[in-house]
Amino acid sequence: MKRSIKSLISIMLVLVLALSLAGCGNAGSSNVIELRVLNYFSIANPGALEEVERVWDAFEAAHPNIKLIREDEFEEPFHFATEAHAAAGTLPDVIYCWPSGRSSALHTNRLLKDLAPLVARDNFGANFNSTVLNPDAMGGGYLAMIPNGVTATHAFYVNLEVLESVGLEPAKTYSELVAQVPILREAGYETILMANEATWVMQSCLMSAIAGRFAGEGWEKAIHAGTAKFTDPDFVAAIEFIERMYVDGVLDRSTVAVDYGSSPGLFATNRAAYMIDGDWRVGDFITDAATGQVLIDPVRQEKILITVFPEIDLPGVKYNANNSVVLGTGWGLNANLEDGSDKLEAAWTLLKWLVGKEVLTFRVDSGGLPVPSRTDIDLASLDLEPMQVAVANLGQHYNRSNVVIDAAFDGQVYTPLNDGLQALGLGTITPMEVAQNVQNQFEAWKAAQ
Amino acid sequence: MTIKGEKKFSYAVLVLPAVLIYLVVVAFPTIFSIMLSLTDYNGGKIFGADNLHFVGFRSYEWMLFNDPSKAFYTALRNNMYIVAVSVFGQIPLGFILAYILTRKLIKRGGGFFQTMIFLPNVISPVIIGVLFKNFVYNRDSVYMEIVRFFDPSAEFTLNNTPMIPVLVVILWMFTGFYMIIFLANMQRIDPSIIEAARIDGASESRVLWHIILPAMTNVIVTSSILAISGSLRTFDLIYVMTSGGPAGQTRVLSIYMYEQAFQGSANYPMANAISTVMVLISIALIIITRAVGNIFNDKEV
Amino acid sequence: MMEKALSIFSKVILYTILIIFTVLAIYPIIWLFIQSFKSTQSYLTTNKLALPVEWFFDNYPFVWTHGGFSVFIVNSVIYTLITVFFVVLLANMAGFGFAKINFKISKWLHGLFIIGILLTIQSILIPLFLMVNSVGLLNTRLGILIPYIGLGLPMAVYLCTDFVKHIPDELLESARIDGAGYLRTFISIVFPMCAPVSVTLAIITFTGTWNEFILMNLLTSGDRLKSIPAAVGRFAGSLGTDYGRLFAALSISLIPILIFYMIFRNQITKGVTAGAVKG
Repeated sequence: MKRSIKSLISIMLVLVLALSLAGCGNAGSSNVIELRVLNYFSIANPGALEEVERVWDAFEAAHPNIKLIREDEFEEPFHFATEAHAAAGTLPDVIYCWPSGRSSALHTNRLLKDLAPLVARDNFGANFNSTVLNPDAMGGGYLAMIPNGVTATHAFYVNLEVLESVGLEPAKTYSELVAQVPILREAGYETILMANEATWVMQSCLMSAIAGRFAGEGWEKAIHAGTAKFTDPDFVAAIEFIERMYVDGVLDRSTVAVDYGSSPGLFATNRAAYMIDGDWRVGDFITDAATGQVLIDPVRQEKILITVFPEIDLPGVKYNANNSVVLGTGWGLNANLEDGSDKLEAAWTLLKWLVGKEVLTFRVDSGGLPVPSRTDIDLASLDLEPMQVAVANLGQHYNRSNVVIDAAFDGQVYTPLNDGLQALGLGTITPMEVAQNVQNQFEAWKAAQ
Repeated sequence: MTIKGEKKFSYAVLVLPAVLIYLVVVAFPTIFSIMLSLTDYNGGKIFGADNLHFVGFRSYEWMLFNDPSKAFYTALRNNMYIVAVSVFGQIPLGFILAYILTRKLIKRGGGFFQTMIFLPNVISPVIIGVLFKNFVYNRDSVYMEIVRFFDPSAEFTLNNTPMIPVLVVILWMFTGFYMIIFLANMQRIDPSIIEAARIDGASESRVLWHIILPAMTNVIVTSSILAISGSLRTFDLIYVMTSGGPAGQTRVLSIYMYEQAFQGSANYPMANAISTVMVLISIALIIITRAVGNIFNDKEV
Repeated sequence: MMEKALSIFSKVILYTILIIFTVLAIYPIIWLFIQSFKSTQSYLTTNKLALPVEWFFDNYPFVWTHGGFSVFIVNSVIYTLITVFFVVLLANMAGFGFAKINFKISKWLHGLFIIGILLTIQSILIPLFLMVNSVGLLNTRLGILIPYIGLGLPMAVYLCTDFVKHIPDELLESARIDGAGYLRTFISIVFPMCAPVSVTLAIITFTGTWNEFILMNLLTSGDRLKSIPAAVGRFAGSLGTDYGRLFAALSISLIPILIFYMIFRNQITKGVTAGAVKG
């Protein structure tokens, strides 16, 4: 009997082993360089269906001596994979990453290679917008990655169809906006639609830009340097302005219960005159290449303007016509790749392809990249839908850029701001309390550094 | 082989496989995570690089005493609501439902209802979360569509107690689990005892109070322990439904921990400190539950 | 007294409660299936209660092909069945050892398993990854199965021990007087008698493994070894969700588990009754 149990268990173990080994192949040949790539990929992204063929297969076809082992991850699993690889010291050779934020561990621990020497050697920066190769904008203070694009986290979408139906023009100032509220409400329209259920939206898509208008250029540097505080009148005024938008009815308090996935549908069905979101949202409105389905068809898209928040005609505003801008995601190399090695050359070749003209043109064309980091992409030659053109031209509507708060401060600092801005919508907190909470966390964070 | 030897050998064969796998997969990583909570590790290679320094109870001090936002206590409070709903909601309700079904107080559909009440337990919490997010946690939710169907002028009103819908979903979701546990154990009570009591003229309520309930004391303690641990760990459902919002009002400890570990810049020591405290709280609650259970056991038996 | 009251007023209340639970359980599932036949664009722009104006069937073929379901389903079945088998077997074995073979160490080992019930998986993700990686089991089936079995054990061992404790000692003593060793007693008496708790455990473990996604995503890369939740994740993102396809993917992943449950739902009660008669 004992024997039968023993043999039963050993059979089971052998079975499991056999099953698990059955799946393990072995790759390896002589002159081929293998590159491991950590890619952020979701089938739900615009252009995803073609990406494999046009980006990855095309590269392998052009470089028969390089074999790519791609790990496609998305959302939370992507971040798990990055953190886990970093902890185990098994980071891939080419890595998709953020300029800071959720990839900050890669930057601050210098797990990404400094690309400055390679960029200089190949004069690779020539066709790039100068701001994207700025080492100071990256988490580690050195050129650890090359971004695909530049992201404007604030975009003010205007629905002319709705405005015209009640005989209004797009508001030029905040007072005009406030004056439109009753007229729009009378006709059953919401004034500004915002998906404030997710806490990052208010901070990233509106507050960052407003903070710039009230607190001025470089306000975040002053706070980091200790010469200013979140509780100073100018920053508090910015928070007060958000509260005022709720009080004036420009923003409905119920937007705190609008979930991020549902706002495009609401805007597309003319439920609101304006919408505040990021520049990336355009990808959701344009025609889906796979199914031909569309939220706002190209004819109606002509009636959508994309600009920045109207002039705030209130005391305390330092300037208007600004936006909150952050470097987009992009690509970095593993810091362990040895200088002068074939592998480094192969990885650099791949990186140059990934942020090269052809791939970025493809990403712009498919709607996944509103503003590319390269300057040599001819938008006019592409068959873009009206909203894609509008968002590509968003830069003409502002002449100053400010930081996005969650890129400029640690999570510990911006979390109480995110939560506090949402609590303002609920009416359960005062602007000064929000500022005080943020300042407290900032001081605690600073003390721990 | 001697009898003693046989005993030892059998014990080893029976217990070792589970213990070994458990030690490797759960116990060791747990000790590792407790150790990490005492360091300043914040990402990057753990060994071989200069990323790890022992700093003592700094994370614990911050979380419990120094954090001005008191995020830990808000999360703990929400967890305690869930514990309360589980222990004082799911378990009594599960007990009542099981009692109704075992004593055949309804004539028809017992098996059908049993199947339906347990059904939520087999569905992924992620699916349930996505569904209820669309059902209740939304200005344009299905729930609001239903309300507007009856009253077109109905306006969405902001709820100042966003935990309530979460608690209702949790109550609904897991009641079936405890019902099944009670059902299994009630059916182990010898039916002849109940029959005899009924023939002796005992009312249904006396049967419930003097036969079924005492026999269930241990099961209630077991269920409470499962409910407490489940309530403190709960993550998927709330993460998908509300992500802890609005304004952090539905944030529970596991979400708080998750935010520390995997969102923004990673703070593993803090995340691991949170999970260590979660385990300590669970242990404390379970000791209390057992003590209360023992008091009742002594009285009833 | 009680029964007469029950026949009128209480019964209405009882049935109301039962029907509410039933509707709450069924309606969302029906709703999900219906919405999976809308395109994302029409889901977002039409009444969320309504039937599709135009039934849109493209979500399913799209999701099936691009979600990688044909590979993932095989993996899901492999992971789930092997995990269920080992968790149930090992938990029964350990439960018997802890409950009926007297060793002082049992108390401690059993306590250790209880602590396991209290852990959140997120807290051991990184250490677990480091371990699986260091023994070279990253990206292997074994590297997923061992953690799955280990994580299923605490609750299973706890429930089994509790169940075995209530098996009368006389029953086991008589078997031992007949000359059966512990292992023989386990195989011929305890294991069969544990059928009810085993069925319950099997269902809990089955659903837990079938729905698990955090570990699976962490411990595998590439599509070869992933299971169904990976497909679902592809259609839900924080920056824009592809609702029509998400609902189709959710429906596909829900169907097998509903079938499994409908087949085995009676086993829960049957197993329980059988145990009662024998015990």
